[in-house]
Amino acid sequence: MTDTTTTPAYSETPEEREFELRASIGSYWTGGRLFIGMFTFLLASEAFAYFYLRSSNSGQLWRPRNVTAPTGIGWSIYAVVLVSSVLVIYGQWRMRRGSVIDWEVAGWTAVLGGLVALGLQIWQLTQLPFYPGSSGYASCFIGWAVMNIMMLFGATFWIETVLARSLRLRKVAADDGPVQLGGSPQAQIFRANVSACTYFWGFVAVASTLFWVMFYLI
Amino acid sequence: MTISAERESEVAYPDPTPPHAGGIQGWTSRPGWLSQHLGTAIVGAVAGYLIGHWLGNVIASGYNYVANSGVNAIANTGGLLLGALGWLIGIGALNYPLAKMVGMEPAPEQETTSWTRYFRYTADHKVVGLQYVIGVLLFLFTGGLLAMAIRTELLSPTSHVFGPGTYISIVSEHGTMMMMMATSAVVGPLGNWLVPIMIGARRTAFPRIEAFSFWIFSAGYLVILTALPYGGFPTGWTGYAPLQTQASGGMMSYLVGFALIGSGMMAAGFNLAVTIVNYRAPGMTWSRVPIFVWSILATCALLTLATPTLVAAGLFGILDHTAQTAFYVNEHGGSSYLWENLFWFFGHPEVYIMALPGFGIVGEILPVFTRKPLFAYKVAAAGMVGVALLSFFVWQHHLFQSGINPDMRPLFMLTTELISIPTGFIFLVGMGTLYKAKIRFEVPMLFALALFFNFLIGGVTGVFLSDVPVNVTVHGGFFVLSHFHYTIMGGLIFALFGGLYFWLPKMTGKTMNKKLGQIHFWMMFIFFNLTFFPMFIIGLLGQPRRVFEYQQNLQALNDFSSVSAFILGSSFLVFIANFAWSIFIKPTPAPPNPWNSLGLEWQTASPVPYYNFERIPVVLTDPYRYGEEGAPPVADLGEELVGAGAGPRAGTSTGETSATSAE
Repeated sequence: MTDTTTTPAYSETPEEREFELRASIGSYWTGGRLFIGMFTFLLASEAFAYFYLRSSNSGQLWRPRNVTAPTGIGWSIYAVVLVSSVLVIYGQWRMRRGSVIDWEVAGWTAVLGGLVALGLQIWQLTQLPFYPGSSGYASCFIGWAVMNIMMLFGATFWIETVLARSLRLRKVAADDGPVQLGGSPQAQIFRANVSACTYFWGFVAVASTLFWVMFYLI
Repeated sequence: MTISAERESEVAYPDPTPPHAGGIQGWTSRPGWLSQHLGTAIVGAVAGYLIGHWLGNVIASGYNYVANSGVNAIANTGGLLLGALGWLIGIGALNYPLAKMVGMEPAPEQETTSWTRYFRYTADHKVVGLQYVIGVLLFLFTGGLLAMAIRTELLSPTSHVFGPGTYISIVSEHGTMMMMMATSAVVGPLGNWLVPIMIGARRTAFPRIEAFSFWIFSAGYLVILTALPYGGFPTGWTGYAPLQTQASGGMMSYLVGFALIGSGMMAAGFNLAVTIVNYRAPGMTWSRVPIFVWSILATCALLTLATPTLVAAGLFGILDHTAQTAFYVNEHGGSSYLWENLFWFFGHPEVYIMALPGFGIVGEILPVFTRKPLFAYKVAAAGMVGVALLSFFVWQHHLFQSGINPDMRPLFMLTTELISIPTGFIFLVGMGTLYKAKIRFEVPMLFALALFFNFLIGGVTGVFLSDVPVNVTVHGGFFVLSHFHYTIMGGLIFALFGGLYFWLPKMTGKTMNKKLGQIHFWMMFIFFNLTFFPMFIIGLLGQPRRVFEYQQNLQALNDFSSVSAFILGSSFLVFIANFAWSIFIKPTPAPPNPWNSLGLEWQTASPVPYYNFERIPVVLTDPYRYGEEGAPPVADLGEELVGAGAGPRAGTSTGETSATSAE
């Protein structure tokens, strides 16, 4: 049953090697943007639901008595996400200028921030002053909370895996210098991953701002 | 440095993590009963379902509304979601994400020729493609059996096999399964298997995401199957609220199932789109990309951007049933129209998710069997992109009868009619290729020609339906039903079978039986038309969809349609018999390039090596320069020049050898 053979010799010319490297780096670039596109349409559906129910105001039940989700927790989540996003972006900026430790500290702080934001978001769901089905606003808020959990989980997971990889590669590729700065294919692919991840964190900041305005300000 | 000189300086791959993958340190790729495979996935699914159901009961035990309703949607949803999670854990889909959390990359996957690889989570896109072939056919045949049940019930307007509730559940299950299957019918099997090879790549961009797409697709199949034991759902495949919010048990299977399938669609589309953009071989410029790849790229754009809306709509529905939100409940500040808008914002692009790959397949088949270049290749590619773009602007025509502002109707009527223009371009490209051609009527070509016949009827009736007056008249009846069966089954499914007969010899290395293929085709073509054409008349005479009783005077037409449907259904048995006979029971090896095609996928070795090409090819021209004297070879494969100018590599001459033996 286990008719297993070893992997055949896989060889590459230098030109093919360069091609594979460019393709891998390009895949991170394209994939990162496409991933944002997917999340944009997911969140746009939530925004559509928000404005659709708000404008239709069925039974005058869009937002009776102007109820709002717990503001303090909401502002805290937003602040933590924003700070984490800025840290990730700043960290990459510093990394490009050769300060690896700055990127690592900023990244791990962002991981912590992401976890805190996740915890706050889940806690907020237990503190709601309204029943989930009491109004259009209440329903949309629950929907947003679930999507926010998905988005924050994804962003935190991504940055954590990048950081964990950098720690492991520190041992593997020491002769090429830190993976954040080296010229090896592994290092170039790593930086493409960091770049895509940073771009996604920027998107998280923008999306959080828009939905923060929608649910807490207007 | 010349290409050949560079190739002579090849180096062995020194990286311990070459571009393919196993699980944590190769655990999943280690063969044997102790590794992860379909069996462990089933165990994981059952365990997950039981845990989720139990948790749901614990969570909901204190709520009176659950106790009073007699249905615990939280337990159902928990069971289905954790069941799907257990399925993924069992097959090994989460090994890699977990390994990444500690910074590990996967160990190399051991290449195996054992049949057991088809039951595993693998990074080989060819294995995933064949897994999809079986998965999609299973989906199709299950949905087909339900169609037989529907036609059996409609044999008589007064004597019933099923009760009305059971009947609508069967109709709903049939529609949902077929639509779920159709979204992945080509992208899954043929897209995954062929696209990397057609663009000269040795791998896909994200092979684990590709494998994930198949295993979550199969989880979606199992979840939607649970709808029937849960009591079914009464909404049809469209899941309209408020019926959705009032429905019980089986509705959760619909919502969770669609969310899972949607996730699989996004994953598959994401991976293939990134692969096409980044992994095209040197020389594979956009004007040389095969038309099938263009169709898959346009489809992937729709899959990745339209499907999130479906997932969001499904999430809102799940929340309405479990967390008691009111997205679709008019009485509590929600709106049933919200579902309709979100659903059709996905649903209409979905029509083109199903149609475009079909056109891509016939675009590949026609030049091979006419020995002519594809007529107006760039127009076909532009048409596909145009269809994909316009498909985002037509969804409201599904709501002409559902309370849409009447002032908006002309706008969406216009956009719907506009989309027929790029669609017409693609159709005319096919006609132009056939013009004055000496056609070889091989089995794949028969299916390709049938697509044009069927799609003409489906397309023209679609133009009728885009007009508000006609739409208002025939809405909700058998006319609409017949129209979309002509486009989806008459288009996509015929193209799928054409594609399978065309590419299975390359995919499996086995020759399909020609005689059985012809019998399959003629039975399917004739009885498809005899089944569905009368439904136009039945619809115009006023029979509504989803109702198990009808006027007495329509019985003759319904009976005619039902008997034809039974024979149509049995035509698939011929295919199954052919597949089983030709692939498993008495396999006949297929020649490397039986159709004498110039496509890059036919130029690589057979069976296709693990890395597809010994050397990354350098593409020199497009693959449609049939019959052109002095045309350059299609590609430099690093071995010998192949293509129109160099003659067939496989050593077969036009028409002399066929992948379908006549034995």
